[in-house]
Amino acid sequence: MPDEVTLTIDGQSVTVPKGTVVVEAARKIENLIPVFCYHPKMAPVGMCRMCLVKVGTPKVDRGTGKVELDTDGKPVIQMMPRLQTACTTPVSEGMVVVTKDAEVEHAQKGVLEALLTSHPLDCPVCDKGGECPLQNLTMGWGPGQSRFDYSDKVHFQKPIPLGDLIYLDRERCILCARCVRFQDEIAGDPVLGFDNRGRSWMIISKSDPAFDSKFSGNTTDICPVGALTSADFRFKARVWELQPVPTVCNHCPVGCNMTFDMRANEIMRVMPRENDAVNEIWICDRGRFAHHFVASPERLTTPLVRKNGKLQEASWEEALDLVARQLDGIRESAGGKAVGGLAGPSLANEDLFAFQRFFRETLGSPNIDCRPGTALDLPLDDFGAEYGLTSGTDLMQLGKGTVVLVFGADPEEEAPVHLLRIRNIAKRGGTLITINGRATKLDRFAEHTLHYRYGAETEVLAAMLKPLYDAVPPEGKRAALRGFGDLRGVLANASAERAVANAGVDGPTLEKINQALASATNLVIFYGQEALRAGTSVTAGLANILTLARKAGAPNSGLVALVPGANARGALDMGVRPDRGPGYSALKQPGMAAHEMFDAARQGRMKALYIAGLDPVQADPTLAEALKKVDLVVVQELFLTATAQLADVVFPVLSVAEREGTFTNAERRVQRFRQARRPVAPQRPDWQILQSLARQLSAEAVIAASANVSDKSRRQARRAEEQARKRTDWSYASPAEILMDIAASVPLYKHISYASLESALGVWGRKPNEAYYFDGTSYENTGGLGKQVPAGAENGGTLSLQPFNVRTFSQPAERPWKLIATPFLYDDSTLLNGSALLNNRKARPVAALNPADADSLGLKDGDVISIASGRGELRLSVQRTRLAPQGVVLVPLHVQGVPLVTVVEAGVTAVAIRRAEG
Amino acid sequence: MPKTQLQEHIVLRNREIANIADIAVYTQHGGYETARKALTTMSAQAIVDEVKKSGLRGRGGAGFPTGVKWGFVPREIFPKYLIVNADESEPGTFNNHEIIDHNPHQLIEGIIISAFAIGANTAYIYIRGEFAYGARLLEQKIAEARAKGFVGKNVFESGFDIEIYVHRGAGAYICGEETALLESLEGKIGQPRLKPPFPAVAGLYAKPTVVNNVETLTNVPRIIEKGADWYRTFGTERSPGTKAVSISGHVKNPGNYEIPLGITMREFIYDWAGGMRDPNVPLKFIIPGGASSSWLTPEHLDTPLTWDDMAAAGTMLGSGAVVVLDESVSVVKAALRVDEFFKHESCGKCAPCREGTHFLVKVWERIDEGHGRPDDIELLSDVGRQMLGKCFCPLGDSAVSAVNSAVKFFRDEIAAQIK
Ligand SMILES: Cc1cc2nc3c(=O)[nH]c(=O)nc-3n(C[C@H](O)[C@H](O)[C@H](O)COP(=O)(O)O)c2cc1C
Ligand code: SF4
Ligand code: SF4
Ligand code: FES
Repeated sequence: MPDEVTLTIDGQSVTVPKGTVVVEAARKIENLIPVFCYHPKMAPVGMCRMCLVKVGTPKVDRGTGKVELDTDGKPVIQMMPRLQTACTTPVSEGMVVVTKDAEVEHAQKGVLEALLTSHPLDCPVCDKGGECPLQNLTMGWGPGQSRFDYSDKVHFQKPIPLGDLIYLDRERCILCARCVRFQDEIAGDPVLGFDNRGRSWMIISKSDPAFDSKFSGNTTDICPVGALTSADFRFKARVWELQPVPTVCNHCPVGCNMTFDMRANEIMRVMPRENDAVNEIWICDRGRFAHHFVASPERLTTPLVRKNGKLQEASWEEALDLVARQLDGIRESAGGKAVGGLAGPSLANEDLFAFQRFFRETLGSPNIDCRPGTALDLPLDDFGAEYGLTSGTDLMQLGKGTVVLVFGADPEEEAPVHLLRIRNIAKRGGTLITINGRATKLDRFAEHTLHYRYGAETEVLAAMLKPLYDAVPPEGKRAALRGFGDLRGVLANASAERAVANAGVDGPTLEKINQALASATNLVIFYGQEALRAGTSVTAGLANILTLARKAGAPNSGLVALVPGANARGALDMGVRPDRGPGYSALKQPGMAAHEMFDAARQGRMKALYIAGLDPVQADPTLAEALKKVDLVVVQELFLTATAQLADVVFPVLSVAEREGTFTNAERRVQRFRQARRPVAPQRPDWQILQSLARQLSAEAVIAASANVSDKSRRQARRAEEQARKRTDWSYASPAEILMDIAASVPLYKHISYASLESALGVWGRKPNEAYYFDGTSYENTGGLGKQVPAGAENGGTLSLQPFNVRTFSQPAERPWKLIATPFLYDDSTLLNGSALLNNRKARPVAALNPADADSLGLKDGDVISIASGRGELRLSVQRTRLAPQGVVLVPLHVQGVPLVTVVEAGVTAVAIRRAEG
Repeated sequence: MPKTQLQEHIVLRNREIANIADIAVYTQHGGYETARKALTTMSAQAIVDEVKKSGLRGRGGAGFPTGVKWGFVPREIFPKYLIVNADESEPGTFNNHEIIDHNPHQLIEGIIISAFAIGANTAYIYIRGEFAYGARLLEQKIAEARAKGFVGKNVFESGFDIEIYVHRGAGAYICGEETALLESLEGKIGQPRLKPPFPAVAGLYAKPTVVNNVETLTNVPRIIEKGADWYRTFGTERSPGTKAVSISGHVKNPGNYEIPLGITMREFIYDWAGGMRDPNVPLKFIIPGGASSSWLTPEHLDTPLTWDDMAAAGTMLGSGAVVVLDESVSVVKAALRVDEFFKHESCGKCAPCREGTHFLVKVWERIDEGHGRPDDIELLSDVGRQMLGKCFCPLGDSAVSAVNSAVKFFRDEIAAQIK
């Protein structure tokens, strides 16, 4: 085979792909060549010299070009005069490698002796002790003793903060540059570097603020010594005391696999867990450092019931009984429709499924939603499921031939690890296209970038759709696309010229993008909050691009919707929405959306509101008025949120660390998290609370159904009774059983079970110990890789083009600016409660303006402005930044002191800006 | 004409022609005519071929055939760069210095012809930071050449553009190593790069790049003017031409000499440089090719100064810097001095050199101070063995030359100092 090479390592023959380096070839046959600077995820640099081996190649006769043979007919091997670094030496046919002999050992001992000369050997107080490659390699390959004088060690001030989150101990650093290279090659934030030379050569941070990266924690994992430690874990525990429990990050839709490393029922640290299909071996700093909400003393511990106008502690029996009786009464008197339910996108699938059952079956109410009901609610996204990334797609495997289009999204803030993975596709030869209203970090790695005028998104999409549309061959093919004719009129006037004129994009780049789309083998389209907020025509346009490029349902292609929340996709899949049931099933009668429920509440038509894992009042304080008009407000929460404070009954719930469940990520991978911690108070999982209520509420329902025989045939009666029994069967002993129920009633989830989520371990062929040599730490995945559910378009039926319209935003003259709500990773979400380390990184309550615009308004940094829309006004201080496009004011989402809800309107919000007096 | 002087200098023509640094003088003596001829009448390939035929070998240390190196440059990738290595930091070496200060136009003409030959429109002269005068002078000389239309756009109306920039280093010996030089030139910390890729394929800004020493390029105009055959009348078959050699230490007439390659070390020291400074104190050893090179002793005096003969004697022609040391010199002090240099200059990138140079110095120091330990000679040799061939770049190896030479030739003297 031409692409494979066979070589011999210590007498053992091994065949590997061309281009493999000797270290990896040896690893394949479990021959661990010691390394420090080499890391499997980064380009080799060959600088630590630990991996020196003997290398020989078959001798070729210069005259004949043939391999010379010895008397036995074996090739004559010519050994290279010097030892070679196995991490940088590519294999070649017939190569002979010797990794164990006196000369190699002498070199290895020499390198280790040299490294240890400057090493402080403070293992007893070093956090890396116990999982330290330097310790392990010294034991395995080092000299027993050093000939250097102890007093000759280099000394540095130690440790020094390298930013808020990471400490650097320069004495321990062995100068392998893994951290620097990670920041350059993987994170794309080249903020670390070196200073000085010789023995004074050292790591420095080059950014201000120091170590300014959302991925900094990963450097503590890959550092092969204890030079980099996290401010969170330093001196907290010895690693051998830790018990890693598999979990899934609950902070964003990527769903990074992690472990909670536990000691004595406490989360001591969070570590990545390897899953190439999701996060490889990386996590972002929010995932790593924002676990403190779990052990926060502010957590709710017992149920609270409002008595004499005040929330007071109550027993579970009392609280549950109260809620069940009141709901029963409302159901009797006003009907189920007088009850509304909101359940948030960070709840597990099991909770969400139970939630919609509780509403639809037990209470008979169609009014449920997964949004908080404020002016900032995003449209519900169906395209991410219908046209989603097809099952089996592994972004890690994509490269050449793949076009990744990122539209209206800022993955760094919305889904940080996706940034790394998208960048890697580009690095492997894929074509990255970013199309946004403003500059984002991903632009730096993109081959083509367009910045549109906000409000003109559909103009750009029309210009992209047009050539794809025209290229669909008439006979047969067009008929196979439902809605083909409907687009004709819409696209009739579309053109690149028009997009250039109306959206302000660069024409030649647009042409190149269209060429790339037309010739893509795989097409992956990411869209985020700005695209969603811009309206369904935008997301429909993206879905249509996929369909017209003939990539809907095709392998390695599809949409990825970055809907905020770790389980936003799960909430939609489970049917926690007013318009569709589980699995996007049609409903006879749609219910009220969240904001409609609050409208109804204001008008006194809503008798009860049940809110789980959402805090509408925090997002919009005016909703408090509506809540006051509701007879019964029930809240399930971790904390006494602004909404919980107004509730009649508050149920304390278990956090992700204290229970089991599954989340479905943006790529529709269902993943399981485990219980890591014993509950320290009598909180309960969300689903269990709902089950208890449902049981109390439905005790009578079966009897009622079977008693009513007179006007029905016996068969009808039996069916009615059966249905009622099914509806009222609430006997889940565990979330695993709920998932079985989900699998039975949601076709997409047919093959999902706890067992299936655990399968396929160790596909990367790691041995538990070797990780310490190659990675700096262990990322062992014992918790399973999860499983992707199929996208709707995979069914192979007729594909539909979605209704798409070109809408150009017309700016009212009196409000000449556009306000854009921008998501930030570090915002004021409840899940960041208690993680004080991240406070400095949080988005500040400022309005970002382009310096040219600020100049035209005569505004300096810090000046206070009034931003007024057709709905209201808000005041913020100004931050001048080139990241804001001209004519636009960027205002952060979910940041305290920024009442965005008072001003935002659907789509683009036109605002007037003036200096605020006083 | 004494036999200790060339009839005709090739690179140190300033020794024959007064004020050749003056562009008027230089052009009077045919200066820039060769560049004109080359650019207007010759193909790039013809120049490469002529240089190949001349057998010119790189003067920066390794002696790699220059024409062959040029031949590695892929023709179809643009832009390409020519880098002039004027970092000259090897202790004892000061021949580039003289060319730069006294014969700069011949260097510039060499740059123009060589850049044309490899298809580079940009050349950078990376000059040792301490050569402040030389750097300013070169800029002035480039400006003079530009004023005459020899540098810039469409030079000699040939359609060829050539820009030459002078970039000063910041005081790191390692930046003379070609890849560290490129890093430094790119504004990064000066440390060697992993090879391959070699600069000819991916050098400055990952583009094809040729790095040549000052003296190497200063040879080029004469080779093109007078032809490879003429050039080969100097030197030997495998080491053709002349070499500007710096000699220092305990000799009567230290300085630069342009010698025909192939004369013996004895001829060079005793005939050309006037012999030992004090005829009563005999020669003890020679550091023959810069501080990096292994030492020679009086028994090697008949070694011809060619790349091959020096290699056969266990050392190298190197940068062309002969340091002659007489019996008054302490071997331990000399080795300590050399290794202190390498310790100071170790970039820190790889552990064996970073820590090894430090360790060698420590041991030499304690021997010198009279605290040597019985095993120290073995220790030095073993640390040397741990470094030799195991470092990232040749700097680490260089530090071992002094150790191995001292132990090989003067073991007894060191042992005596330890007792
Ligand atoms: C540590 C080290 C220092 C070097 N210093 C110089 C130098 O100062 N000047 C120089 O021309 N070459 C120096 N070299 C050699 C260069 O790497 C390179 O081989 C040379 O510039 C090539 O030019 P040439 O082919 O014309 O000789 C050094 C090499 C090493 C390993
Ligand atoms: S801090 Fe750690 S990862 Fe960075 S260079 Fe030092 S040892 Fe390597
Ligand atoms: S041998 Fe290593 S430490 Fe020394 S100069 Fe070269 S790369 Fe730097
Ligand atoms: S040099 Fe190969 S692992 Fe560092």
